[in-house]
Amino acid sequence: LSTNEQFQTRWGLVLATLGMAVGTGNIWRFPRIVATNGGGSFLIAWVVFLLIWSVPLMIAEFAFGKRARKGTVGAFVRIAGEKKGWMGGWVALCATAIMFYYSVVAGWCIRYFVAAILGELRGAGPEEFWESYAGTTQAFWTHAVALTLAIVVVWFGVRGIERVAKVLIPSLVILVVILAIRAVTLPGAAAGLEFLFKPDLHALGDFRVWLAALTQNAWDTGAGWGLILTYAIYMKAREDIPLNAVLIGFGNNSMSLLAGIMVLCTVFAINPGARDQIVGAGNEGLTFIWMPQLFAQMPGGRFFMIFFFLALTFAALTSLISMVELAARNLMDAGLSRKRAVGIVAAAGLVFGTPSALSVTFLNNQDWVWGVGLMLSGLFFALGARSFGVERLRREVVNAEGADLQVGRWWSFLMAVVIPVEALVLMIWWLWGASVDKPAGEWLDPFSAGSVGTVLAQWAIALVALVALNRWMGRKTSKGEAGS
Amino acid sequence: MSTSATIMMVLICGFVWGGFLGFLMRAIRREGGKQQVEK
Repeated sequence: LSTNEQFQTRWGLVLATLGMAVGTGNIWRFPRIVATNGGGSFLIAWVVFLLIWSVPLMIAEFAFGKRARKGTVGAFVRIAGEKKGWMGGWVALCATAIMFYYSVVAGWCIRYFVAAILGELRGAGPEEFWESYAGTTQAFWTHAVALTLAIVVVWFGVRGIERVAKVLIPSLVILVVILAIRAVTLPGAAAGLEFLFKPDLHALGDFRVWLAALTQNAWDTGAGWGLILTYAIYMKAREDIPLNAVLIGFGNNSMSLLAGIMVLCTVFAINPGARDQIVGAGNEGLTFIWMPQLFAQMPGGRFFMIFFFLALTFAALTSLISMVELAARNLMDAGLSRKRAVGIVAAAGLVFGTPSALSVTFLNNQDWVWGVGLMLSGLFFALGARSFGVERLRREVVNAEGADLQVGRWWSFLMAVVIPVEALVLMIWWLWGASVDKPAGEWLDPFSAGSVGTVLAQWAIALVALVALNRWMGRKTSKGEAGS
Repeated sequence: MSTSATIMMVLICGFVWGGFLGFLMRAIRREGGKQQVEK
């Protein structure tokens, strides 16, 4: 690995990986999910799954990347064996499919940041603004802008990613802290804290609360997405794994807590009567329609609205950068130069992101299909580690020279037994939930948005293609050397 | 705020933020130690 393709410092690696983990899901999804799932009780389950889902998988991803020094496909070939390369292909496919629509979301954030500066959200009203923007050619152009920004950073390699992370992540933390402090100092904000933290012990007996907590952890830490694996390729040989993994896991959830406090205190202080309507409005409804309205009623609201959308933009861009790097890394493993690989990812992102830019329904359907697919990615990491030998992985890679913490046998048990069970239960629950919400006959329709049928159809096509291409992918990715 | 919500806030924020700051301090100390050795 050339020194140009290596994180220069531990903080560069930690900040870039934290940037990957902290995305829009921390800011727009976490407050909504915690508010609708029992507040304080949900938070207990959420902390438990940080420890038994996110952190073990993050450690595994670091170990895969550091050991194999290859992107997801090559890493699965080297760690799990030649017959399991398709699993790495699945991980890459999921993250890349998410990248296609995530750049649209990042574009929304940029557009709203500009609109907040120009005062456009006050004049037209946020709902009218959203209606006239989302799903139009304007959204295509902002998607192109977001993708271009991410592409430029990845074009300059790991050095570019490290430099950008060192600026954007501390700025994001400062912005969210300022917004959270402003929110808790608003009159009536204590009701938001009460709503967020009040435990409902009956909710702890509801399996849906636990599953929602697992889903939220899987989503907002980015564990099992293959993105940590990708950044781990560029760690120094003597770099630590366990301490970095727990630092990033706890850092990500710290940001989620701040975002929850910020959003719910703002809602309760400004418009407590509409709280159910606000938290039930969905990700886009909460962020792009309700939050601007709440900021507009707050003293100094325009200023804080700019901060809010700037924070969202930073969170979205740093996550998008990691997704672009994951796709480009797999192409580089196949022997392409970085510039050529990044160019191909840019063209693919622009083309395949366009349907999501022009249709919010299409975007939400893709989010549904590949969001559930991430659970399968997490399962594949556990199976890949089992193929290599979880104990061997722990001894030879996780606890290798340079480790600042020693991981015990508990990690092997979690990887070999607990995570596969969690992933299977979660997938079955999600799909079952989708089947009961839809009328009979419609839930299996592959052309019905948000149905089980659309998930199974798209997964089946992808899995058949990946298994068929397994040998070819393995051969291709073993050609190029990491860092080439 | 009710007592139960206050206790839960202290426990959850203490664990998550405290954990993050604790691990961060540990990483800072380890990096400081490594730099001393390199000098």
